[in-house]
Amino acid sequence: MSSVLLLNLAWQISTLALVALGLAIVFGKLRIMNMAHGEFVMIGAYAPVITSMLGLPGWLQLPVCLVTVGPVAFVLERTIIRHLYGRMFDSLLATWGIAILLREIVELIFGRGYQSVSPPIAGTVCVFGADYPAYRIAVIIGILLGFIGLYWWNTRSKTGTRIKAMVGNPNLAEAIGINTARLSAGAFVFGCCTAGLAGLILAPTVRIEPMMGLDYLIRSFFALVVGGLGSLEGLGIGSGIIAGTQTFLGAVASQTYGYLAVLTLSILFLWLKPNGVRSSSR
Amino acid sequence: MMKKTATLLSSVVLTMALGTMSVSADTKIGVLVPDSGPAGLFGPSTRNSAVLAAKQINANGGINGEQIELVFADVGVPPAEAAQAALRLWKGQGAEAFVGMHDSAVREALIGRFNGEVPYVYTPVYEGNSCADGLYITGETPSQQLEPVIPFLAEKEGVSKWYLIGHDYNWPRDTNALAKGFIADAGGEVVGEEYVPFTVGEFDSSLQRIKESGADAVLVTLVGGGSVGFNVSFAGFGLDDQAIRLGTLIEENTLAGIGADNANRLYSSSGYFSSIETDAAASFAADYSAAFGSDAPALNGLGQSAYEGLMLLAALTNKAGSLDVAAMDAAAEGTTWSTPRGDNTLMGRHMAQTIYLADGSGGAFNVVASFDNVPSSEACSN
Repeated sequence: MSSVLLLNLAWQISTLALVALGLAIVFGKLRIMNMAHGEFVMIGAYAPVITSMLGLPGWLQLPVCLVTVGPVAFVLERTIIRHLYGRMFDSLLATWGIAILLREIVELIFGRGYQSVSPPIAGTVCVFGADYPAYRIAVIIGILLGFIGLYWWNTRSKTGTRIKAMVGNPNLAEAIGINTARLSAGAFVFGCCTAGLAGLILAPTVRIEPMMGLDYLIRSFFALVVGGLGSLEGLGIGSGIIAGTQTFLGAVASQTYGYLAVLTLSILFLWLKPNGVRSSSR
Repeated sequence: MMKKTATLLSSVVLTMALGTMSVSADTKIGVLVPDSGPAGLFGPSTRNSAVLAAKQINANGGINGEQIELVFADVGVPPAEAAQAALRLWKGQGAEAFVGMHDSAVREALIGRFNGEVPYVYTPVYEGNSCADGLYITGETPSQQLEPVIPFLAEKEGVSKWYLIGHDYNWPRDTNALAKGFIADAGGEVVGEEYVPFTVGEFDSSLQRIKESGADAVLVTLVGGGSVGFNVSFAGFGLDDQAIRLGTLIEENTLAGIGADNANRLYSSSGYFSSIETDAAASFAADYSAAFGSDAPALNGLGQSAYEGLMLLAALTNKAGSLDVAAMDAAAEGTTWSTPRGDNTLMGRHMAQTIYLADGSGGAFNVVASFDNVPSSEACSN
């Protein structure tokens, strides 16, 4: 296996895990089928477009990303999403509507055309004897460190358990002193912000346009279906299987076989193992 | 409620006024544009170009002495719906001829629906070899975009090892089938050929194959967002140092998405760029921004093709003396007319035209060569 293939695998798996993280939180913990997940990735990807349009310095990309994604997510949670906890199918329809709304708003502001963003780190570096884009190497390392941090926090924090209690029985959860409004809004906004962050990070490497979110939504759902809901391990395994299969088969056979295999795997998992590889709720 | 009624009434009055206006002997032309769907990006520039063409035609005395009026329909929808929309313009609103900028599936549905009873000009870049009574084509076909350009690039850039990559459908496959012949004639070889499904958004493994193939030129027949994603990653991996790229559907919007950083040695071959420096093209671009403002949707080869289509329709109708398909078919061969693209001739129902090769390095197209009066080898036998 060539070192470029290994690096491609690392890039695809890590970026898919980052994109799917927000969906895993909102779908896995809050039981909201967030069809607008990809649109938050899209809004995040427009952050560097905004900074360059306004002539702002590059370091403001992250604040701009959080300031655009966060309030949008908060307002949606307080006005629409909070009425839909525990109503998974209704949430699917409502968030699909939200997704269309967000796409249209972005189209009104920025137009339908493609945007482009320069990577903060240009050029390639030689890793394991292969020339690989320096920006991608930095992103792979950053995502890895981020997930280690998140795992460490998750094993120590009781937030996950509180969310589970809230979704399972909101009245009882409030009775034992859990502030469910704050908790649910916080979890939803956090999930959407990770999606926005993923968009910001991917922006220099992909096409940017109002419809781009759909790609990310579908792959993220596949990763969750295969990996199972509710745990970071499941997210990692699902991303590894989906992105790994596509990248590996794409390299040794063709992209068509890679995509075919991903679809087949997703269908088989939904049919034979609907809870995925790992479905423990931690 | 009152307000609603008032609005309703005023719109009725307006409709009646418009109705009476159109009773005057204007010839209605149906213009089929993609307002929605994957090509929706090109809707506004297509409409604007058509409006400019109508203005120009009417200023020149209309067609066969009658002023023309455009009626639009959205054909960025599935073929059956698009055919319905065209039928409403034809039978419902009395359109007497059609100009269409849309995909090939819609074209085939329209050919079936029109059945040679109404003249129909098809305008975008396409794979060639579509022939029917009353069908005339202004769009570039693969032979026009490649036959002069491949030997030119082989000479200019010294490239000989070509890698062909495209989306998996007939336009890329037909283009590449022809390209192989032109590459061999220019003394080059094909070192790889690959077709990618539309659903795939990342091209890492394809880029690795291109690198390993040792290609020094890549013919890109990916379309839209796929082309943007491919070209961004291509430059990200530093492959722009290894190979030039030539695209036959990389227009101004696609280049904007690829970005200045990623467009080094990226060539595009087309019948139109907004940066063509001839007098006719420059005055067209000036008219466009005067009519629609400086921040109007960017001019590009697909949108501008609607202008070409209407100009062909005017030239051909004036030559034939009527909008009757039999008369037009009989008069079609050898019709000549001039547009922002240059001097054009209808040969085998296809438009022999000037082909421009532009370099996108730096994020804007710079025309480096033009080839006059290039005929299509995928034309009809008449």
